[in-house]
Amino acid sequence: MKLGRRKFLGLGSAALVGLSLKSERKIEGSFVNDSFQTGHLLRDRTSFPAAKRTEKFPVVIVGGGIAGLSAAWRLRKRGFSDFVLLEMNAQPGGNARWGENEITVYPWAAHYVPVPGPKAEYVRELFADLGVLKNGQWEERYLAFSPQERLFLYGRWQEGIEPAVGLKQTDRDQFQRVENVFNNFRKSGSFTVPLELGLSPKFQALDRLSFSDWLRQQGFDSRLLHWYMNYACRDDYGALASDTSAWAGIHYFSSREPEEKGPLTWPEGNGWITRRLLERVGRNIRDSQMVHRIIQTRRGVSVFAGETEFQAEFVIFAAPTFLAPYLLENFPRLRDFVYSPWLTANLTLDRYPDSRGAEPSWDTVFFDSPALGYVDAMHQSLRTHVDRTVWTFYWALAEGAPSRNRQLLLEKEWTYWKEAILHDLERVHSDICQCVSRIEVMRMGHAMVRPAVGSIFSEERHRLTRLNDRIFFANSDLSGISIFEEAQYRGVVAAQKVLSKLHGHR
Amino acid sequence: MGILLFISVLLVAACGLIYELVAGTLASYLVGDSVFQFSTIIGTYLFAMGIGSALSRYINRGLVHRFVWIELLLGVIGGFSSALLMLAFAFTQGFELILYALVIVIGVLVGLEIPLLMRIVRDRYRFRDVIAHVLTFDYLGALGASLLFPILFVPRLGLVRSAMLFGLINAGVALWSTFLFANQLSEARGLRIACFVVLCGLGAGMAGAKQITATAEDNIYADEIIFARDTHYQHLVLTRFKDDLRLFLNSHLQFSSRDEYRYHEALVHPGLAAVPFPRRVLILGGGDGLALREILKYAQVQSITLVDLDPEMTRLFSSHPMLIKLNDKSLLSPRVHVINADAFPWVDLNGDSFDFIVIDFPDPTNYSLGKLYTTAFYRAVARHLSVQGLMVVQSTSPMFARDSFWCIVQTLKQAGLQTYPYHVYVPSFGEWGFVLAATHGYTSPTSLPSGLRFINIDGLPTLFQFPPDMAPLPMPPNQLNNQVLVRTYENDWKDITH
Repeated sequence: MKLGRRKFLGLGSAALVGLSLKSERKIEGSFVNDSFQTGHLLRDRTSFPAAKRTEKFPVVIVGGGIAGLSAAWRLRKRGFSDFVLLEMNAQPGGNARWGENEITVYPWAAHYVPVPGPKAEYVRELFADLGVLKNGQWEERYLAFSPQERLFLYGRWQEGIEPAVGLKQTDRDQFQRVENVFNNFRKSGSFTVPLELGLSPKFQALDRLSFSDWLRQQGFDSRLLHWYMNYACRDDYGALASDTSAWAGIHYFSSREPEEKGPLTWPEGNGWITRRLLERVGRNIRDSQMVHRIIQTRRGVSVFAGETEFQAEFVIFAAPTFLAPYLLENFPRLRDFVYSPWLTANLTLDRYPDSRGAEPSWDTVFFDSPALGYVDAMHQSLRTHVDRTVWTFYWALAEGAPSRNRQLLLEKEWTYWKEAILHDLERVHSDICQCVSRIEVMRMGHAMVRPAVGSIFSEERHRLTRLNDRIFFANSDLSGISIFEEAQYRGVVAAQKVLSKLHGHR
Repeated sequence: MGILLFISVLLVAACGLIYELVAGTLASYLVGDSVFQFSTIIGTYLFAMGIGSALSRYINRGLVHRFVWIELLLGVIGGFSSALLMLAFAFTQGFELILYALVIVIGVLVGLEIPLLMRIVRDRYRFRDVIAHVLTFDYLGALGASLLFPILFVPRLGLVRSAMLFGLINAGVALWSTFLFANQLSEARGLRIACFVVLCGLGAGMAGAKQITATAEDNIYADEIIFARDTHYQHLVLTRFKDDLRLFLNSHLQFSSRDEYRYHEALVHPGLAAVPFPRRVLILGGGDGLALREILKYAQVQSITLVDLDPEMTRLFSSHPMLIKLNDKSLLSPRVHVINADAFPWVDLNGDSFDFIVIDFPDPTNYSLGKLYTTAFYRAVARHLSVQGLMVVQSTSPMFARDSFWCIVQTLKQAGLQTYPYHVYVPSFGEWGFVLAATHGYTSPTSLPSGLRFINIDGLPTLFQFPPDMAPLPMPPNQLNNQVLVRTYENDWKDITH
């Protein structure tokens, strides 16, 4: 085929010429929201100034992520407002933080909540409170708009992330079989959200091997199936399937009813929930307050932040659990808490790039990419005409040891990540460099707790949830998986424990 | 001499590929389905090249002489191919016939070129060198052409002039060959004159290309284009044929001035005439001011708010002499407030209440427009209805897009509204549908404004009757998170066009 080859050569070189043109446009940006500098002060046991002031509160909440904010929400909802929440960063929200520019608001981390099932009682209560759930109906404008997800594989687009094109009969059989297996686990009632309500020793054996080993043991060897399972683990846990407890892998697929509605989402992701919570509890929050020491006294607990000593009767420790040994006196070293490092980037686009004919979707994933894809902040816009947008690019550094990847996050410059991100996107959107004007990168060394093998049933973890004296732990870390529902559950439960203690005292 | 020779191979190869690309691109533009067009054109072209190569063995004498003539023929046929195809599409029924005939002729001529050239130079080089060199430059030329065609020629010159430019190159190679192979030519003068004539012809063609394109485009849009503009939001084309003005948005017909009164009277009067004391009216879409013209026939209406996305659209219909004649200067009325905004966010943020609301958007052809046909949108709009207020929705054709029509009805019901679907016949559109929606019921009007040409009181009840081929179908409601309407609409029209 003479002309076949001619055309092939032509197209290949056209792509090269295209690349050389693209580097011309200037793309601005930097790292943003870095918090490791303050974290490292704690790690390195830097000496902090002595307290110059004291303030007294019956309750102090440490940490303003979803767990801390939910604890605050529950306290206020129960009519208790004599508390303070101390947040290390200038902006509360933790993994539900958001950003805003001249185009739109956008998420910095978590960007959706699956439609909560009947067991997620507190989430449903919160959503009723926020007007997301009205008379048993989910507000339409908060459900992810159609088209929701698309996957680019084998040079083409498909709707949905589960691979559906290029499957051999054996692949199809395995996808069908694994679905049946997950259905049976679901029916067992042991895989629930919140996780604690269903946790049963019957399935403890599944926590002793990795998800990928379990899949292979069950005879699943389809490459596409493994890609999909691995993607799910990277996306929800920041870990490869081989670094994830089989119990947690199964939980991802078996804890929720198959839902056609699509998840709940907002332009700023879960930042929307943070904003609504801040409207309700913002008065109790002190931001940019790094707690550097927490000590138990005879009459209560002292929390030291900056030059202030907060004297409390009870403390809800809603900060990431790995900080506890650095803040609490005589706190034993933690062994069972592994954290996944992440990187997120927000890309400002002056126009949508070429999508090879596909309709823009909410969530876009590339098959075989080391990253997780991107979410379009303008997708939930009610406007019919959208020129500019912001894409949130997600990248769990799952390959290799977390400590090494944290090192990588610290060492590499912004340019390195910028190039890596554009390179990934360019494989599908060849003109992406002409569309992007700004890339902001957020590095998170300890982005989320990792449900590593053995971590779900870890005794250490359960001991922390049972503490019932003056300090109550509240963070999704206690569940072992870092999802909104778990964080909210832990926050609400801690608040309830504190409320009942307070009533007991008086 | 060697390098000059091989450069002409390179140029000749480039020309051959360009003609093929021109044919494929034009067919894709005009007929659509680029995969089919490119596949069949490449296939036919390659096959014709094979025929040319096979025929080359029958050329025994006067190789250079013949080669020069082939180049000239290619220059003329290839050079004018693009213009010829455009005119064929605009003025004849036989576009495909002419397309493939052209591809075959050009393919045969291109197929002759390389074998002849190889034979012309075979005495100067060893056989294996001839093959290697000629084919190398042949491929190089193809590469250059295929790169420059999309990057440089199409955007800079357009298809018509790109083809002519390469026609000039073919003719140039012909002229050059008369010098390059002068020793193998018995008579060169006549050939050079022919080359000169062809070059002049193509040069003139280049100069007049704009005219050719314009002539063809005028005819493709059937009527005289009196206005065409790419606004920030859409491609807007206004055409006129005698007394018929037509507006196209993104190539979808919006109205024909000959029968638009049927559409707009049907859109407005069954609803508005039934509202007891209409004071305030809202129009969403409808930047042409034609629904507005009908509404202004009600003296009780004190204020009309028109929300249209595109300021160029409302500006055009407030100023163009032909258009303000058509809409009776409705957009200039002191009772009218024009707001250029995206409808959904506007409806969300505005707090006013209205006695009559007209929703007149383009059909739900994509997910963006689909948002304006959802339960979420209708709920948001319904909040603006006064107690006895009514709203009316342009709802595509219950005949051609029956599923879509009933999907819109179901969506309004799901949004908590009572629905009253009806339909009329608009010649330029066919059978067309509307849905009236209310929170407190609808009773037919007892009187209508005077001077209507289509809607009358006696005929009104018949509009609400649907014959079996347009009868209701069970459809799911359209929601932001499923967008079933866009998918349904696409299928409805696919069924008709295929």
